[in-house]
Amino acid sequence: MNNVTTNDSLNTKTTSGKSYARHVQKILKGNYAAAEGAKLARAGFIPAYPITPQTTIVEELSNKVATKELDATYINMDSEHSVFAAAMGAAIAGERVFTATSGQGLFYAHEVLHAIAHFRLPVVICNVGRPSIPWNIWSDQTDSLAQRDTGWVQFYGESSQEVLDSIIQAYIISEELDLPVMVVLDAFYQSHTSENVWVPEQSLVDEFLPPKKLKGGEIDVDHPKAFGGLIAPDKYETFNYRYWVDINKVEDLANKVGEEFGKHFGRKYSAVEAYNITPETKLVLVTISSITSTARGLLPRYPEVGLLKLRLIKPFPKKSVLKALEPLSEDASIVTIERNFLGDKEGALMMEMKRALYGERNIKMYDVYTGLGGKDVPPRTIEKIIVKTLEAPEEISWIDLE
Amino acid sequence: MLQANKFLIEEEKVFSGGLSCRGCGWALLVRHLASILGENTVYVVPASCFSIIAGPYPLNEIRGSVVHTVFAAAPATATGIRAALDRKGKKDATVAILAGDGGTFDIGFQSLSGAASRGENLLYVVNNNGAYMNTGIQTSTATPYGAVTTTNPQANFKKTFPKDLMGIIAAHNIPYAATCSLAFIEDYRRKIQKAKETKGFRLLMIDGPCPPGHKTDPAQSISIARLAVETKLFPLFEVEHQKYRINYFPKEKVPVERCLEKQGRFRHLFQDESRQALNEIQDYVDSYWEKLLKLEKLSFEE
Ligand SMILES: Cc1ncc(C[n+]2csc(CCOP(=O)(O)OP(=O)(O)O)c2C)c(N)n1
Ligand code: SF4
Ligand SMILES: [Mg+2]
Repeated sequence: MNNVTTNDSLNTKTTSGKSYARHVQKILKGNYAAAEGAKLARAGFIPAYPITPQTTIVEELSNKVATKELDATYINMDSEHSVFAAAMGAAIAGERVFTATSGQGLFYAHEVLHAIAHFRLPVVICNVGRPSIPWNIWSDQTDSLAQRDTGWVQFYGESSQEVLDSIIQAYIISEELDLPVMVVLDAFYQSHTSENVWVPEQSLVDEFLPPKKLKGGEIDVDHPKAFGGLIAPDKYETFNYRYWVDINKVEDLANKVGEEFGKHFGRKYSAVEAYNITPETKLVLVTISSITSTARGLLPRYPEVGLLKLRLIKPFPKKSVLKALEPLSEDASIVTIERNFLGDKEGALMMEMKRALYGERNIKMYDVYTGLGGKDVPPRTIEKIIVKTLEAPEEISWIDLE
Repeated sequence: MLQANKFLIEEEKVFSGGLSCRGCGWALLVRHLASILGENTVYVVPASCFSIIAGPYPLNEIRGSVVHTVFAAAPATATGIRAALDRKGKKDATVAILAGDGGTFDIGFQSLSGAASRGENLLYVVNNNGAYMNTGIQTSTATPYGAVTTTNPQANFKKTFPKDLMGIIAAHNIPYAATCSLAFIEDYRRKIQKAKETKGFRLLMIDGPCPPGHKTDPAQSISIARLAVETKLFPLFEVEHQKYRINYFPKEKVPVERCLEKQGRFRHLFQDESRQALNEIQDYVDSYWEKLLKLEKLSFEE
C-alpha cells in the first residue's frame, strides 16, 4: 500500500476547478470550517470557554445549537480546566464530544488532557495554535506541541478543507481506538482566513461516520461500576501497556481512514505527504500546517528541493516518514521548519525526525526556527532557508531574526 | 410518630470493608446518603480521603456508579455526566459529587461556583473535616480558627476563620443548601431526601469527624459532632433560594470550649497565653448565630 502522496498529486491541494458530488462549495474561514466539521460529525456535547483565536469556533457551534441546526448540549463553562473535565464526564457517559481551545486554554487544561487520554476516552477537539506569556495571540504551535506527551493523537491541518475533513476522520480513529484526538490549525493564517471549502452533505458524512457505538465501558446506571479508582503499582503499567499497543495502531489507521475518506468523499489523506522526493533531491523541507502551502508554492522554482508535510504528529508516523524519504540519497539534507519553541536547542519537528531516522538513515539534518508568535513566513523566508541550507548550513539557525 | 427508618438504614448500599479510619465521617455519611439516593446514582469523586475509601481498582464500595476525577473539577465532570445522561433519557438518575473541604473551599471553588451558577441538576455533598486529610492534615480555608495542622503547627495555629461557604453558596440563589451533622441522623436523612427530590443545584455540607486529623478518640466522633451543634460551632440550618431556616436550637448555652477541649488539635488553646483565642472563637460563633437568627427572620417576615 502506498500511503504517501507522490509528485503527480502536486496540484491536488488546490480544490479550485474540482467539483465533488454531494458537496456544497462555500467560502469559509478556518474556524467556521472547524465548526462545520464538528456539526457534520454530530457532536452531542460541547462544553466551551472563549479564547482568541479559537472563539468563533464555539460561537458558531452555539449558533448551530440555538437554531437547532445541531442537536447538541452546549454549555458555557467556567474555565478550560472545567471544559475538559466536562468533556471527560460526558465521554465517560458515552456522548460524542467536541470542543475547541487555544494556547493558554490548552495549557490550563493540561492536567485533564492526561486524564482524558488515560481514561481512554474518545474525545475530539480543535486547537488553534498560539504561544504562552508574554501575551501573544498569533500563530505558533508551541501550545499543542508542548502537549505531545499527554497521550493525545495530533493532526495538523494545512487548509480549512483539511481541518474539516480531519475532524470527521478524527472521530473514526478516536472511537475505534478509544484515544482522544486534537486537530490543530494555525491562528489567523487559517482560523480567520477565508478559503474555498467543499462542505459535504450531512447524509454523506452519516454514511461514513455512523452514530457513536457504545462498547459497554461507559457509565450505565442500570449496571453500576467504578471508573478511575486508585491502581496499585503492580497493575498500573498494564494500563500503560494497553495504551501503548493501541497508540501504535494509529499511524496505519490514519492512513487507512484517510484512504477510505478519499474513496467516499473524493479527497484522500495520509499521515504524511511527500512532494518531489527523488534520488536527485538535494534538500527536503519538513513542515506542518500552513507553512506547507508556502513551501509547496516554491517547489516549481527549486527542482532540487522536496517537501515532506507531516499531518499526523503524535504518535509520530515513523514508517510513513521513512517510506517517504526512501528515494532520498544519503548526501541530501533535511531541514525542519519550527514554528514552536519548547525551551530546548532543537524544536519539536527536529526532535521527532531524529527519533524516527535514528539507526535507519544517515542524512544530515538542520533545524530552523522561524515564524514564532505569528511572524509571517513569506516565500522569501522559505527561499532563504533553502539557499542557506544548500550553501552554508548551520545545525540550528534562526531566520529573519530581528 | 417516630419511624425507625428515619434513623436506620433499611437497605445497605455500601459494602463492608471500606478503607476509612475508625470513626471517620466519610464512612457514615456515605452509608446514609447511598441508602437514600439508591443505585440509580452516579457519584463523582475528586481527590480526597473518599477516593481511597471508595475502593482501589477494581473495587467499588458503593452500589452505584462511581467516577473518580481530578481534584479541581468534580462539578465540571459531573456537568458532562449529567448532560450525557439527560441526552440518553436518564433524567431520573441522581448525579452526586462527594468532595472534601479542600476540594470545595479551595481548589474546586471555581468549578463549584460555575456549576451552581449554571443551575446544573447536581447534588453536591461536602464532607467538611476542616483540613486536607488525605495528604496528611494540611490547612485548608475550611480549617477552623485555632486548629493546628501540619502546615500550621504549634504556635502558628490557624489564625483566620473559615470562609462562609454556606453564605457564598446561598448567594448563588440555589434551590437547596443545608448543613448536616452525623449526630443528628434524622435531620441528616430528611435533608438527603429533600435534596434528592429537589431539582437544580443542591448542596449538603456535613461536619465530618476525622480522629487522626482532629486528634480525637474514634469512639467519640458522634458525641463531639453533637457538641459542635450544641455549642453552635456547627449550626444546623437550610437555605432555599436564599431563605434561611434554622433546624436546631440548642436548649442551653454550651461554651465552645466544651467541644474544643475534646480535640487535640485545639489543646494549645487551653494554655494561659492563648486563652484569648477561645474568647475570639466564642465571639465569632455567637455573632454567626445572631446573623443566622436575623437571616431567618428576614427570610420569613412579610
Ligand atoms: C491538582 C491536585 N493538587 C493536589 C492534589 C493532592 N491532594 C489529593 S487529596 C488532597 C486533600 C484532599 O482534602 P479534602 O478535599 O479536604 O478531602 P479529605 O482528604 O480531607 O477528605 C490533596 C491536597 C491533587 N490530587 N490534585
Ligand atoms: S484521615 Fe480522617 S477523613 Fe481520612 S479516612 Fe481517616 S478519619 Fe476519614
Ligand atoms: Mg478535608
